[in-house]
Amino acid sequence: MIERKNARLLALATLLIFLSTLAVLLARQFNLGPTMAVPDYRAFGPAGAPVQIYEYTDFACPACRHAAEKIDEMMRVFGAGLRVHFKHFPLTGIHLWSLRAAAYADCAGEQGRFKEYAELLFAGQEKWAQTKEEPKEFQAYARQLKLDWPKMLACSDAPETLRRLKLEIAEGDVKGVNATPTFFVNGRRAVGSAQLIDQAMKFDNVLRSAAKP
Amino acid sequence: MTTKPTAKELAGLLARLILGGVFIYAGVIKALAPAEEFAYAIESYRLLTPKLALWSAYVFPWIELYAGLLLAAGIFTRFSALFNGAMLLFFEFMLAQAWLRGLPITSCGCFGSGGGNSITREFIQNIGLIVLAWAAFRYGSSMSADRLVGPHDA
Repeated sequence: MIERKNARLLALATLLIFLSTLAVLLARQFNLGPTMAVPDYRAFGPAGAPVQIYEYTDFACPACRHAAEKIDEMMRVFGAGLRVHFKHFPLTGIHLWSLRAAAYADCAGEQGRFKEYAELLFAGQEKWAQTKEEPKEFQAYARQLKLDWPKMLACSDAPETLRRLKLEIAEGDVKGVNATPTFFVNGRRAVGSAQLIDQAMKFDNVLRSAAKP
Repeated sequence: MTTKPTAKELAGLLARLILGGVFIYAGVIKALAPAEEFAYAIESYRLLTPKLALWSAYVFPWIELYAGLLLAAGIFTRFSALFNGAMLLFFEFMLAQAWLRGLPITSCGCFGSGGGNSITREFIQNIGLIVLAWAAFRYGSSMSADRLVGPHDA
C-alpha cells in the first residue's frame, strides 16, 4: 500500500518538475524574465515612454549599423513615445574586436560621449572590424571626440567593465538572442530592422499620440 | 469521513504554502536571469572558485524551484520541509561566515540581483523561514498531495 502511494507521489513530483521546467524555459523564450538596467548613457528617450525598445547590438555587424540608423530615425519621429536601451551583444566568435569596441564605447559613455563614440564605431566599421591587430581607430575616435585616452584604456581593462559586458551577453543568451541586431519592442522580439519596423508599427497609435506636443 | 483541520494544521498548511512560495519565487526569478548574474553573487561569499560558483548558479535556482513546488503541493511533505529547512540553514551559514569575515556583500543574491537586502536583514528573514519550515514539518500534512493520494501514514 505504502509502495503504491510513494509511486503515485513520485509520478506527481515528476510531472510537477517537468511542467515547471517547461514553464520557465518558455518564459525565457518569450522574454518574461527580468531585464537588467543599462547604464544611463546607454538609454535614450524619456524614462516613462510607452514604447520601450531593448536593442542587442554588435558594433562589428553591418546589419546593426543599418538598424542604428533606423533607430535614430524613429527617435527623431517619435521622440517622446520611445525609449531605447542599448545592450551589447558582441558576437565574439566571428567578430574579433567587437567586445573591445563595446568596452571602449562604454568607457566613452563614462566620459559622457557614448552615442558619439558608437556612431563613429558604426561609421568606421569596415575599417576596424577585420583587422588582425587591435585597430588604431579606437584611439583615433577617442582623440577625435577629445576623450581622455589613458582613462579609457584603464576603464576598458577594468574587471567591472568586462563583467558588465559578459552579463549582457549572458542575458542575451538566456533570452534566446542568437543574431544581431535583436530587439525587444515592449517585450516582443524582432530580429533585424525590417522586423523592428514591423513590431513598432503595432504601437503606431501609442507612438503618435505620445509624440504629439 | 473528513474532519475539520485544527488551528495547528491550518498554521502548518499556511507555513507550507508561504515557504514553498518563497522558494518557488526565488528559484524562478534566478532561473529567468543569466546564471552569471547569480554566480557573481555566489563569488562574493569567497567560498567557491569562479567555475564552481557558475556551476552552482546553473543548478541552485532549479533546486529551489523544485523544492518549493514539492513543499507547496505537499508531496513527501515532511521530507520536503526538512530539505527546505536544511537549505535555509546552509544559507544562514553562508551569510554568517560573510558577516564574520566582513565581506563587502551588497546583494546576497537570494532573489536575483535586483532584490538585494543587507546580510543582517536576510539572516533575520531566514530565521523566520526556518520557523515556517519547522511548522510545515510538524503540522503541514493537511490538504497535501500526501493525503490526497493515499491514507495518512505519518
